[in-house]
Amino acid sequence: MNYINRLLLILVVSIASTSGRISAQTSRTFVFDPERIFILGDADLDGRLSLDEYQDFLRAFPRMNRPTVAAESMFRGIDANHDNYISLSEYRKSFPPGPGASVKPNDPREKPAAVDSAVAITPDQEKFFEEKIRPVLTTQCGKCHSSAAQKLRGGLRLDSREGLRLGGESGRAITPGDPEQSLLIRAIRYQDDDLKMPPKKKLADSIVADFETWIRMGAPDPRIEGSHTKSNLSSNSAKSHEFWSFQPPKKHDPPEVKRTDWPRDDIDRFLLAKIEARGLAPVADANRERLIRRATFDLVGLPPTPEEIDAFVQDNSPAAFNKVVDRLLASPHFGERWGRYWLDAARFAESSGKTNFMYSHAWRYRDWVIASFNADKPYDRFVREQIAGDLLPAENNRQRAERLIATGFLALGSKAHDAENRGQFILDVIDEQIETTTRAFLGLTVACARCHDHKLDPISQRDYYALSGVFRSTRTCSGTLAGVFPNFNASPLIELPSGANMPSAVPSLSAEQRSSLEKRIAELTKERGAIPPGEANRDRLRRVNSMLAMLRYRLLIDRPGGTPRTFAMGVLERDECVNSPIYIRGELDQPGELVPRGLIRLLRDESNESIMSGSGRRELADRLASSTNPLTARVMVNRVWLHLFGRGLVATPDNFGAAGSPPSHPELLDTLSVDFMNDGWSIKRLIRRIVLSKAYGLDSTFNPRYFEIDPDNILIWRMSKRRLDAEAIRDAALKIGGRLTAEPPVGSSAARTGEGLAMFLRIAGQDVSDTHRSVYLPIIRDQILESLALFDFADPSLVTGERSTTTGPAQALYFLNSPFVIQQAESLAGRVIAFSDDDSRRVDCAYRLTLARSPSPAEQDRAFRFLRDFTAGIVSDDSKREAWNAFCQALFACAEFRYLD
Amino acid sequence: MLSTGMTRRDLLKRVSSGFAYLAFASLSTIAQGVASKNSSLAAKAPHFPPRARRVIFLCMNGAPSHVDTFDYKPELSSADGKTSSKPGRIPGAKLMGSPWKFSRRGESGLWISELFPNIAAHADELCVIQSMHTDLPAHPEAYLMLHTGNSQFIRPSLGAWTLYGLGSECDDLPGFISIKPTTRNGGSQNYGAAFLPAAYQAARIGDEGQPVANARIGNIKNPKLDFKEQRIQLDYIQSMNRELLERESVHPGVEGVIESYELAFRMRRSLPGVMDLASESAATKALYGLDDSTTADFGRQCLLARRFIEAGVRFVELTHGDWDQHRKLKAGHSRNARAVDRPVAGLLTDLRNRGLLDDTLVFWGGEFGRTPHGQNSDGRDHNNKGYSVWLAGGGVKAGSSHGKTDELGYEAVEDAMHVHDLHATILYLLGLDHERLTYRYAGREMRLTDIKGIVHKGILA
Repeated sequence: MNYINRLLLILVVSIASTSGRISAQTSRTFVFDPERIFILGDADLDGRLSLDEYQDFLRAFPRMNRPTVAAESMFRGIDANHDNYISLSEYRKSFPPGPGASVKPNDPREKPAAVDSAVAITPDQEKFFEEKIRPVLTTQCGKCHSSAAQKLRGGLRLDSREGLRLGGESGRAITPGDPEQSLLIRAIRYQDDDLKMPPKKKLADSIVADFETWIRMGAPDPRIEGSHTKSNLSSNSAKSHEFWSFQPPKKHDPPEVKRTDWPRDDIDRFLLAKIEARGLAPVADANRERLIRRATFDLVGLPPTPEEIDAFVQDNSPAAFNKVVDRLLASPHFGERWGRYWLDAARFAESSGKTNFMYSHAWRYRDWVIASFNADKPYDRFVREQIAGDLLPAENNRQRAERLIATGFLALGSKAHDAENRGQFILDVIDEQIETTTRAFLGLTVACARCHDHKLDPISQRDYYALSGVFRSTRTCSGTLAGVFPNFNASPLIELPSGANMPSAVPSLSAEQRSSLEKRIAELTKERGAIPPGEANRDRLRRVNSMLAMLRYRLLIDRPGGTPRTFAMGVLERDECVNSPIYIRGELDQPGELVPRGLIRLLRDESNESIMSGSGRRELADRLASSTNPLTARVMVNRVWLHLFGRGLVATPDNFGAAGSPPSHPELLDTLSVDFMNDGWSIKRLIRRIVLSKAYGLDSTFNPRYFEIDPDNILIWRMSKRRLDAEAIRDAALKIGGRLTAEPPVGSSAARTGEGLAMFLRIAGQDVSDTHRSVYLPIIRDQILESLALFDFADPSLVTGERSTTTGPAQALYFLNSPFVIQQAESLAGRVIAFSDDDSRRVDCAYRLTLARSPSPAEQDRAFRFLRDFTAGIVSDDSKREAWNAFCQALFACAEFRYLD
Repeated sequence: MLSTGMTRRDLLKRVSSGFAYLAFASLSTIAQGVASKNSSLAAKAPHFPPRARRVIFLCMNGAPSHVDTFDYKPELSSADGKTSSKPGRIPGAKLMGSPWKFSRRGESGLWISELFPNIAAHADELCVIQSMHTDLPAHPEAYLMLHTGNSQFIRPSLGAWTLYGLGSECDDLPGFISIKPTTRNGGSQNYGAAFLPAAYQAARIGDEGQPVANARIGNIKNPKLDFKEQRIQLDYIQSMNRELLERESVHPGVEGVIESYELAFRMRRSLPGVMDLASESAATKALYGLDDSTTADFGRQCLLARRFIEAGVRFVELTHGDWDQHRKLKAGHSRNARAVDRPVAGLLTDLRNRGLLDDTLVFWGGEFGRTPHGQNSDGRDHNNKGYSVWLAGGGVKAGSSHGKTDELGYEAVEDAMHVHDLHATILYLLGLDHERLTYRYAGREMRLTDIKGIVHKGILA
């Protein structure tokens, strides 16, 4: 049976029932489920039926192809509140209470009245099944239609109750109660030419008769629920739940070590024990210049100033480094550094990608992330606000606004706004939300289960669609203006409470500007009126419409005499929440059984087995942020460790499943995770603890013997060499050149462009002209600025826990020839020349600014030689200045500048 | 997985640490510019003997109409004006016969429309695939599918996979170049490396909408320093880098930096030369249509492509658009065809004359085709279920056609070739098995063809 046929089947019931002609006969044949009917009719997945959807739905059934007027009057009859949409509760009310309508109106989470589950099994039925049905299913069908099948045929599984009821690619296998409507019966009867099962030999007539009897009974099936999921996970499925990362982390006692004088804290003991076990020893400590350069870049993403270096080098107190660390943790630049790491995981960007509509309000989420890290917001709260900030109580308007902004996390993924199939668009958005949420917070690849059960982790397709129901009951407000072509999937934005006094990215309009804007709108409206109808003028009409939409938007957000209205991307609850069907192979036109929305099995515990009300986002947020969730703390601790050591304790930061790497130091990871939670989920305290360890202060000295044994430095016998990331390179060059604007900007140039297509935004070169920190540069999907893209900026459509580090000629050309580097070099040369009249002091100053150390005498000599060679004997002020420019540029260009020791 | 059974990452790790010791002893050779053998771009052996060693992809952005170019449909002409039985997205749309005449060309007798008189003269070199199909009839999705084999997720481009599989054959130019790529339809994703190392992404030359004569590779020239000054500066930089490497003993990052500067400097030296067409004869320039303003821009791209290929570049993509004629098909397709016809024909001639066509695969095509029914009186809508592309050179059956659409041209009905199949076949021609060319990402071995793709051996010579 194909999709349309299935639709027809349920239509008969739906229409018969709405028009009050449902007979007892029919209702016994088709025990129907209003929610399912509603969900299949809701083609655009917006949780309600429009008149169009309702009519299409009727049209799918030729015999009901009644005049439009009649359909419309039926629609109006059901639409009790006259809002031009049929909501789920309106739809439910339109059904007379009948045998099938067993879904309680106020409890959308109740298991759908799929016929099957309602029927209790009598001992006789069970006996019948075990004797007559199960043996046949196993021996005759199992080879192709079970988890044991080498290749599953037609997507159909008959070795579990759920699989049998879910059906396969050809549709539902059985209609309990009605053998004639059961595909399985038709197949074993050899009724249709194209579907004869089993293919080799027709079953005996007596067996066929047994099956007919069994289906007539209602297909009672004693096989317990869940066996479907388990059967998919191969024979060692039980073990997969015992996988290390699914166990709660436990605090471990630090191991005994031989060199008791080396460790400073337990982190060191855990590390040293493994180093000693391999017959290695930690290298010496880093000198103070190296250490402060490392810590300053690691904590705030900027180089230390010569004054800061001197103060640290000269500080003889035992707490000298503690002071440095505390100063850096308190700096407002801390959030800019660590917030950016989170933005990688949250695949932050300010446009949609593909057709590339601007997300002009995305920057609020960016600023919220930075502020959260600066305020050391407890990580559990940080998580909860991003998933369900709109549902959390707020103490005041400001907090309310911030929590709404936090949910931008779910709204700013890449999207194909030009998709013509609205339903497909929504499913893809949900998929993106599932992918990002589970990978960023849990290190799980739940999105793998969209089309089939996860191959490696205990995540079933059913889990996926349970979670899908949560997001399907959520309104994603990404903005993008309707009316701008080709935006076929516009959505609203969330208006922030005006009492929150959130900053606006655009200035207020003067009276003059307003009136000229109004004038322009009037002109365009007139122009639009004059465009003759017809296809020939379609492009012109689109252009005018797009322009009108953008101008009207500008006018709309302005408040004469006040600050402009403020908006955010984010999510809200739908008015009514629904469950999602399982889509067979993830295909929109293959909806199967409805799944009660909820959490994935791995995350469930007894207290939140099912969603009691609303979308379930609140429960999801609570569960993600719970200290009994085995993954959240571990995943975040690992992210922090990765950014401080260059390699995670788990080397795959976004995958803690079976396909990920096992932890190199499981006890350390667990202990840190437990401490992190006990410490109020404080990121700053976690970072402080790690940075103050002896291990973090190790030098990065090479040792051939150790390198032979542990080339990747997994044991941390030294500090790894790490390349600065794109932002740190650019920000350091600006700061060293004395041109960095330390204060954050308000908004983003992406926001000032307004709404519309990214192609109208001229962003190339903004990384040269803008002197704010790189975290504030516009992040436009598919148009990443050069200074970011060249140095492995994370693709903003993907969850990225760890960026790659590549080295290529384009980077070399950038350092040699780009206007940005030349500009910073000239600026640095100016500083250096002004610093002293003495060339050796100048060289020293330049070295200390760029490399945080003084040059050796040999390096001094080489610098002088370069300055002399470069001027080629011409001693003019200009040529000297050119030589200093070239010298400073060389310092930026050398490998040492780019690397942390 | 590479043929050795090691993952690429394993290989890189071993190679880079091995290289470290090597480099220590041979810094002077690095400085002389013969070092890239061990870099990720070093030439690699294919899985089996290749038929083609390099690719020129002539990407027709916006989707040319197959029924007006390479898929002759006399039934469509006779049904002109009738209501379409498969109306697509416009109910009641009327079928529209091609406004262009088709005739048999060359000894092979391939049907080619009068839109391409010059390309038609090469009919006996072409292998026209008339049974292409792709998943979605929307530009961004189909364009990404054509380039990366996926319209939903960010995946490496065909060129990046090629370079990953085969490495580069020259040490002074990028191995993958995209000239004037579009910024729409996924923009840089279409020539990106996604999760593959960034070294495999294309070097972009020029921007959409900018004459290619003005196109330069980014930061290739210093705005202030002359060549000599820059060499002094570079020597100074490299002396600092080498000293650092000596201090550190082993530091693959610094080795990479040293190598990158030398390659950059070689590129700075050789790239402008390769891009300077002055040394080409007037006859050659005329062959590519540089003497005519309608063909000059694409002609210049084609000539650049030949020069790059000749210099050892593995994969060159050229883009021409906009072929998206929902209206004014006649004017639009005529203009587009005129702009590319002579240059493409010139390219084929030139490659043939230089003995390059035998092992260079030329691929001409767009992201889908156009509907047999009309739209907006004189236009055609998107058609993803059936359309044509052609291949030439590189081991394909010359003067042949493969597959068929139905009598009107709506749907591929014989030897249907999905984009995944085309990708698998192109890799096959390059000596790569699309099922073995994998890269581990997000917990599994990723492929250009995902879990699909069938090599169509029927098009092989």
